[in-house]
Amino acid sequence: MQLTGAQIVMECLLEQGVDTVFGYPGGAVLNIYDALYEYRDRIRHIRTAHEQGAAHAADGYARATGKTGVCIATSGPGATNLVTGIATAYMDSVPMVAITGNVNLNLLGLDSFQEVDITGITMPITKHNFIVKDVNHLAEILREAFQIAQSGRKGPVLVDIPKDVTAHTCSFEPCVPPAPEKATMPPEEKFVQAVELLSHAQKPFIYCGGGVIASEASPILKEFVEKMDAPVSCSLMCQGGFDQESPRYMGMLGMHGTNTSALAIQNCDLFIAVGTRFSDRVLCNAGLFARHCPILQIDIDAAEFNKNIEVQLKIRGDAQRILEEICRRLEPQEHKEWMEQIQSWKAEFPLMQKGEKEEDVLPQEVLETLCRLTGGEALITTDVGQHQMWAAQYYTYKHPRQFISSGGLGTMGFGLGAAMGAQIACPEKQVINIAGDGSFHMNCNELSTVSSYGIPVIELVMNNSVLGMVRQWQKLFYGWRFSQTDVEGVTDFCKLAEAFGVKALRILRREEIEPVLKEALAWRGPVLIDCRISKDLNVLPMVPAGASVEEPILEM
Amino acid sequence: MENAKEKEYILSVLARNRSGVLLRIAGLFSRRCYNILSIVAAETENSQYSRILIVVSGDDRIVRQVDKQLNKLVDIEQVDVLPREGAVVREHILLKVERTLQNSERLIEIANVFRANILNVEKDSMILELTGDAATINSFIEMCNPYHVLKILRTGAMAMMK
Repeated sequence: MQLTGAQIVMECLLEQGVDTVFGYPGGAVLNIYDALYEYRDRIRHIRTAHEQGAAHAADGYARATGKTGVCIATSGPGATNLVTGIATAYMDSVPMVAITGNVNLNLLGLDSFQEVDITGITMPITKHNFIVKDVNHLAEILREAFQIAQSGRKGPVLVDIPKDVTAHTCSFEPCVPPAPEKATMPPEEKFVQAVELLSHAQKPFIYCGGGVIASEASPILKEFVEKMDAPVSCSLMCQGGFDQESPRYMGMLGMHGTNTSALAIQNCDLFIAVGTRFSDRVLCNAGLFARHCPILQIDIDAAEFNKNIEVQLKIRGDAQRILEEICRRLEPQEHKEWMEQIQSWKAEFPLMQKGEKEEDVLPQEVLETLCRLTGGEALITTDVGQHQMWAAQYYTYKHPRQFISSGGLGTMGFGLGAAMGAQIACPEKQVINIAGDGSFHMNCNELSTVSSYGIPVIELVMNNSVLGMVRQWQKLFYGWRFSQTDVEGVTDFCKLAEAFGVKALRILRREEIEPVLKEALAWRGPVLIDCRISKDLNVLPMVPAGASVEEPILEM
Repeated sequence: MENAKEKEYILSVLARNRSGVLLRIAGLFSRRCYNILSIVAAETENSQYSRILIVVSGDDRIVRQVDKQLNKLVDIEQVDVLPREGAVVREHILLKVERTLQNSERLIEIANVFRANILNVEKDSMILELTGDAATINSFIEMCNPYHVLKILRTGAMAMMK
């Protein structure tokens, strides 16, 4: 069948099972948007306020489902506006395909209107990218793009299509697109060594990262943990990858990890890392991390072995399949004393926020109340800063894909877009974005999107009138010199929300927490909650820069 | 301490001949702070592939990282870290040197000793060409230096397993 390039884009999306895309129209993608009009009964397009919002929405969609998120932008500024969103997805290994338009082939390289070398720009922040110069290659390139995004360690792929290529026609043969490449299984000897290490450990420590969620390994992880009779800690990217209601769960590890995790790593005799890349936010001081015990690392990306830290046993492959194989071979272990020790640390060092006054609105109480009211089943997205860490600490996540946050890149303004994408992916779920006032201010324009499409997310702004996380560092390391972090603004968030047609509520006092949250949860459309909190609250525990992960500051 | 372990490594990279592949490789080196000492790229016997020889300096850990990160690039088919002992390593040099009545014979003598070719002779300059390992080429340059070298063009290392 003869199709235009734009129609081929649609057909390839349908082949991949894509029914929703996020984007923003423009000159170079006019043909693609014309095709979207033609295919509107099969492909739903969400037009965001800004291309960055579209990229974050595609990201949120992908993280909530495991499917590949798709965003579309025009050439030049449209494409560059995607960049932060693509980089965010890249750092957190989120499968995404970004489609950009470009100027006509004969105008490429001539500094034409709205021309930018987006493949050059995105080379360091994509798994791979393409510019399609011949419509005859378009279908095969799009299929390859989706395959790359989902193969091995997942990530974003960009396909740049000059405008005339979307107008050119060629014959199109529908096909079953190639499946993502499966990781190979590690050799037998690796499992023998692993079982040897695992069965000799007296005080094992299991630490999980985002790879557990990416490989859908949560159920087998649970079995492995039980078999090992071990405590578990999760990175920010693995919140919900292990049920946090389990007595084995110790909380996060790293810069804002729990004291229990810190004590456990000090005392463990085997550190088992599953699907994690040992980010500097976890290692803290890499030279002082788990020096006294061997480390066993399971990861799909060979380049993550011995990158930030030397590892004694490396097992490369898909976490789920590797854990299955280990579970098959491993006899049940028993570490009664060790687990009792963990329980007593947990009892001694619970996460706890202290206010100055009894009646203060504390994020801990807000989030714990939210957790109770939603039965711990809501899908939580976050922006970046103090509120992000509190959201990780004080809501109890039970399922994978329940917590969506920009971990690697730390993108302020990520949350609202991600929440939109997650809500569209999971209409049956209650989606709540925990934001800070700084982050909210960055991309609050997306309130117009949630409003016009009636996307019923709750935007819960922890409003302390400061850039709290930066301010906390200024307190600790810059002698309370609050350079540019006091953002005591004149913006009335509630009025702003109402201007966008979004219902607005406010929490000013402690006794308002529960009724306001209840009202927001009962509302059928999008809601913003302006939750006023003290500017002097800190995220604790905290490991200061350069210190060992074993020595967090518990109070400040 | 770190510098003591710094060595030169030769990577032989087989890449698909798609647009931007050299940029992808160079970009990877630059953003991951690996040092390229030299790079030689050319099409292989199969025109769909290029062979790229890269000399990097670093310790063992860095080279293993380079190897693994390169392997993640979609257009790269194969990466081999070539051991110096097991490989034939060759560089190529074009050297233009000032020619006078007094030094002309001496330069021809040097060329003969090194088996360098004399590609061009002008009234006041000549161009010599030599292929060899890095040490040979270095000493060739050293021998020519007293006669006022005008210009040097030197390729990076090409290497092939024995």
